[in-house]
Amino acid sequence: MKVSVQAVAVWGKIAPSHSITAVMITDDQQTIVTGSQEGQICLWDLSSELKISSKEILFGHTASVTCLAKAREFEKQPYVVSATENGEMCVWNVTSGQCIENAKLPYRHTAIYYYHCSFRMTGEGWLLCCGEYQDVLIIDAKTLGVLHTLSSSQSSDWINCMCIVHSARIQEDSLVAVSVSGVLKVWDLSSSLNSIQERQSVCEKESKSLDCINCRAVRFCTYTERLLLVVSSTCWQVYDYCDFSLLCTEFCKSGQCFAGGEVLAAYRLIIWTEDGHSYIYQLLNSRLSKSIYSADGKVMKETVYPHLLCFTGVKENKSFPFVMGFVNERKEPFYKVLFSGEASGRITLWHVPDVPVSTFDGSPKEIPITATWSIQDNFDKHRSMSEGIIDHLCASRDGIKSAVVSSSVYIPSLDKLVCGCENGRIFVTVGLKTARARLLENISSVKDNLPYKVLNGHSSRVTCLLYPHDKSVRFDPSWLLSGGQDSVVICWDIFTGDILHQFSLQSGPVTELLRSPENYRLKDNNIVCCVCSDHSVAILHLQKRVCLLHARKHLFPVKKIKFDPLENLLIVGCEDDSVYIWEIETGTLERHETGETAKAILTSTEDSEDLMADALLPVSQESKRNKNAGQKHSSSYKHGMVFYNLTHNEKSSDKLTDTSCIYQPFTILPVKTKWTNANFHILLFDLEKLEELLLSSQLNGLKSSNSFHSYDTLERAKSTTEKRVLTLKRIKTAGSISPVDGQVDTVSSNQVCRDNSAARPLEESGGMKRQKKMKSSRKIRMQPSSNIDVNVTTDTAKLLLSCLLPWGVDKEIDNLCVRRLDILMLQCPVSFGLVSNDNHLSLMLPGWKCTDCCVLEECAVINLFSKRVLDLSNKYLAATEGQTGMKDGPENNVYGTKGLETVFFLFSRIALINRIINIPSTITGEIESPQKPEPIYDKWRNVEAGTPSFPSFYGELSSSKSRYHSPDSGSVSLLKLIYCWSDQSIKIIEAMQAVLLAEVQRTMNTLRKTAICREPLAIVENGSEATDTPIGSHICNMYAPTPLI
Amino acid sequence: DEEFKWLLQEEVHAVLKQLQDILKEASHRFTLPTGGSGGAVKQENFVLSTSGTDQVKGVLTLQGDALCQADVNLKMPRNNQLLHFAFREDKQWKLQQIQDARNHVNQAIYLLMNRDVNYQFKTGSEVLKLMDAVMLQLSRARNRLTTPATLTLPEIASSGLTKMFTPALPPDILVNFYINLNKLCLTVYQLHVLQPSTTKNFKPAGGSILHNPGAMFEFGNQRYEVSHVHKVECVVPWLNDALVFFTVSLQLCQQLKDKISVFSSYWNYRPY
Repeated sequence: MKVSVQAVAVWGKIAPSHSITAVMITDDQQTIVTGSQEGQICLWDLSSELKISSKEILFGHTASVTCLAKAREFEKQPYVVSATENGEMCVWNVTSGQCIENAKLPYRHTAIYYYHCSFRMTGEGWLLCCGEYQDVLIIDAKTLGVLHTLSSSQSSDWINCMCIVHSARIQEDSLVAVSVSGVLKVWDLSSSLNSIQERQSVCEKESKSLDCINCRAVRFCTYTERLLLVVSSTCWQVYDYCDFSLLCTEFCKSGQCFAGGEVLAAYRLIIWTEDGHSYIYQLLNSRLSKSIYSADGKVMKETVYPHLLCFTGVKENKSFPFVMGFVNERKEPFYKVLFSGEASGRITLWHVPDVPVSTFDGSPKEIPITATWSIQDNFDKHRSMSEGIIDHLCASRDGIKSAVVSSSVYIPSLDKLVCGCENGRIFVTVGLKTARARLLENISSVKDNLPYKVLNGHSSRVTCLLYPHDKSVRFDPSWLLSGGQDSVVICWDIFTGDILHQFSLQSGPVTELLRSPENYRLKDNNIVCCVCSDHSVAILHLQKRVCLLHARKHLFPVKKIKFDPLENLLIVGCEDDSVYIWEIETGTLERHETGETAKAILTSTEDSEDLMADALLPVSQESKRNKNAGQKHSSSYKHGMVFYNLTHNEKSSDKLTDTSCIYQPFTILPVKTKWTNANFHILLFDLEKLEELLLSSQLNGLKSSNSFHSYDTLERAKSTTEKRVLTLKRIKTAGSISPVDGQVDTVSSNQVCRDNSAARPLEESGGMKRQKKMKSSRKIRMQPSSNIDVNVTTDTAKLLLSCLLPWGVDKEIDNLCVRRLDILMLQCPVSFGLVSNDNHLSLMLPGWKCTDCCVLEECAVINLFSKRVLDLSNKYLAATEGQTGMKDGPENNVYGTKGLETVFFLFSRIALINRIINIPSTITGEIESPQKPEPIYDKWRNVEAGTPSFPSFYGELSSSKSRYHSPDSGSVSLLKLIYCWSDQSIKIIEAMQAVLLAEVQRTMNTLRKTAICREPLAIVENGSEATDTPIGSHICNMYAPTPLI
Repeated sequence: DEEFKWLLQEEVHAVLKQLQDILKEASHRFTLPTGGSGGAVKQENFVLSTSGTDQVKGVLTLQGDALCQADVNLKMPRNNQLLHFAFREDKQWKLQQIQDARNHVNQAIYLLMNRDVNYQFKTGSEVLKLMDAVMLQLSRARNRLTTPATLTLPEIASSGLTKMFTPALPPDILVNFYINLNKLCLTVYQLHVLQPSTTKNFKPAGGSILHNPGAMFEFGNQRYEVSHVHKVECVVPWLNDALVFFTVSLQLCQQLKDKISVFSSYWNYRPY
């Protein structure tokens, strides 16, 4: 799947919930990885001073994460594998957040260990997995396919826990595992490598029943190479690895359960519990055998007894269960760290001293907590970054505290974002503008004049929203449905804000609103299904404004809803696999089936009927979201193409279609995670699409100016067109210049808004028009009317550039961008996302960069992704040096003449980088192979194919441009450079930012140069122009005629 | 709000206790083999037959999750010849479905055990998460019993089961054991070899719980067709109990979830 989408997350005040179910620290002790019950994975920065800060959150799994493990030799590739409740497995690059590989197997793993035997193994190593299946699975670490199993010859059962034993003494790697029924098994690994690779069955070498039920951990002491620690929930035991004789047993305190343990050093252990305590023991030798005799009692064996040295604990805010782990590194500068993650999403670290000692009087000493952190802490610390998408709206309204968005929907065709809040209000705003107002600095006027509407109707939280027209045209485009905590479904007119009808269901909070299927032909099709939290299903007829059926008998949550149009039946599948069949006409329950019959009914209707509600429950919300994420891109992309052609054909005739193509490059995706009410939003920018639109808009602009002007005024006209576009962007509509002036002051009563919806482009008000732009608006007189989308496109492009530019690195660059390119500064750094293949998404969390950015002194906004970016941009400059030298002249003109052109150019650059980096990600394995350049070459071809749409008008210019795109020597070096970057797992956005920085720097230099050498000339030639705008005489210079054909 | 507090502090624990008791009861039904020391698990005999014909009759001995003895009597329809097979002394056949179901129940119990009376639930979502986890285990346990594995005929032919009998099974007989709901089932397939010259259209059958006569497959370079299928079964009473316990406890869980959701408006938005 081609990924050309850039994502920017707009969080809310409340962090997504993250109930930690698995936690690990990477081998370099720089990243903590946690998996959650919600299915997300969170990456945390761990500084060398053991400070924690959440960095990124990875979406992709649809069920609770069960275990995490490293998936490669960490020094070579920073990969981590995660497995979930429903059998998904995923390999992530934890430095870039990219999903490397994913698979879904019918196995649920509870523990995974990476095993690699460098000299005798082909491939990237194995993942040894155990879980809810018999024995041990060997999974290929690269492909995630099942290679083989380690089977048992007797008493095979699920394996609870295991560990890999590397023993130099025995010269053999083996796998020690304990089964659910307490049988200890040992498999040889290194000596069975061959038979595993040849798929011969491998049985255990030893099998011994231990007296321990519910074993939680088994560990081998590498220091003595003799002791084996077995931790079960009620006790921990130490065995002699040579003959598996029991050396000591220690039971846990009542009310506690042991959860795991690790060997600290020879004869020193750390054991932890489910409730977040841990204990460090010293094993003392006792010939007088305080504890237990060996089982057969023949020889009184040397035994050991434990002595408690230290302990750790948590005092407050306990939340079950704790998942703990321990990293034991002896190398400097690494620490011995005990870490725990809680269901509340909090991480706690204890730095365990190298030599733990008890207090002087012999009583155990408490080791204090070294650090503790949660995602919410990050959100609180970086308030401005975690501002919600409409928080500024709420704030501006009579100062009420910002309302938490509890549900939202984005309507691409209208570019409207509808947000339902905790307090029952529903905000309807314009998507792109809202995003701009939220992200950018210095546009308070835009912020104040942001058109929005508030719909008041619900008395408590708005739980779901539906815009039915979105996906099927049979619904009236003005209908917006909202369901609330108050069990009321309201049908609104989205344009006027009126309540059309109010359905009171009286069956608990509305949990879901669904469109009826397309092929359901009953009564005009204006039917919507509504699921309530008492598991009832209501069928609402929107046209007639009646509730046709309210089916209330379901005992379990509704999983599937189907219609049988022939017999007019409603078929409801519940979570317990039972099926209820309702007669819609009469409202009676016709049948209730369970078991096989139920299954048969559901599958039989499957093919003939719709499948509408797979993603019905909050459980599947995540998957729905993911599906959306993927499909929206691809499908909207296609749609976009169709639409676009359409609009070209009938451009002048229909403004509606014209504007409706706005939505393709930019979408807002509302996201809700399981068990939370709060929503956050992801802004998606489709780079390819945007680039395409930009190119064609340039074309349009030129055509129009061509048609309007004769040759001698051409230059001037062009410059005005450019300027117009610039200003248009701010004043938004040019349609009505003078009549609008009166409206400038805001109208802020609840229901009113300056709604410049696509449906009413003519009444689009210029409320956000700015006085100081009057001057330029004079020039707009002859502008063609078909350019609304151009503004939106450029706006979108600029918004994205704003997000990407390294603000705060160089004041001059910032100024250049703001003044000349009209790219506005960010209000605060943004959280970028990375969409990797198969709908996996990683999103940065607020405060992601705080460990990295101590470089820069006082600056309002710093938006540097990492220090590395500076180096990279220098490298890039160096690599592309030759090129620039070659076309210094023309480029001067490019930059000189048009600020907007530069924007376009910068944009095409990042699109290009994105493309280059994404190619190897699909053919990673073949990076070295000779055919590597081919696909890229093809890509270049494509790019070139795209460039001809650059008007030939630019003549020389365009040739220089296309040379830029074509695979000449300079580009190849660029290509190589970027390849080398992606090999070093440099993130796409880092690369993009570096390239942007370099290009902007270069622009600035050339500008300076031209400014110096051309100024006198320009004044001589074009004095009148130069005096036009006194602020920046070079700007005017830039508008001076350039030698074009 | 007070009511919600009561729900979290009192009612939730009451329900959890009740759940635990039910599940422990269910778990007892599965008679966990107490490794070595606790003595052998008791053996139960089941006679599998159909009421009408007595073409196939099986006497199976179940010990925990394993079939330790099996006697299968088969009357060949053509010649009325009586065939008899039994498990070899040293062999046992593990019924994976029972083992999995038992393990899932124990997992559920373990989840509940962690939250004893002293534990204080602070939010509703905490309870919901716990219930979701428990319900997942329980529904898996139930599904293991209610949905036997769908096997292809070559899989049955190649399974270790065929090698467990004495006297050895003739090559034209396949047997399979599984659990379906509360019943222990035995299917015997009689095969006949498809000659390479046959005009029949060979179409290998896919995976299924029970294959029908006429199903074809290829195994060991030989093509076979199923000529007769005999299925006999016998109710295992404790499996029935276990299934009832699962259903009851799933309902309890859901009810608790529903109760909590009623108060969902009172949840604070910061979960902890």
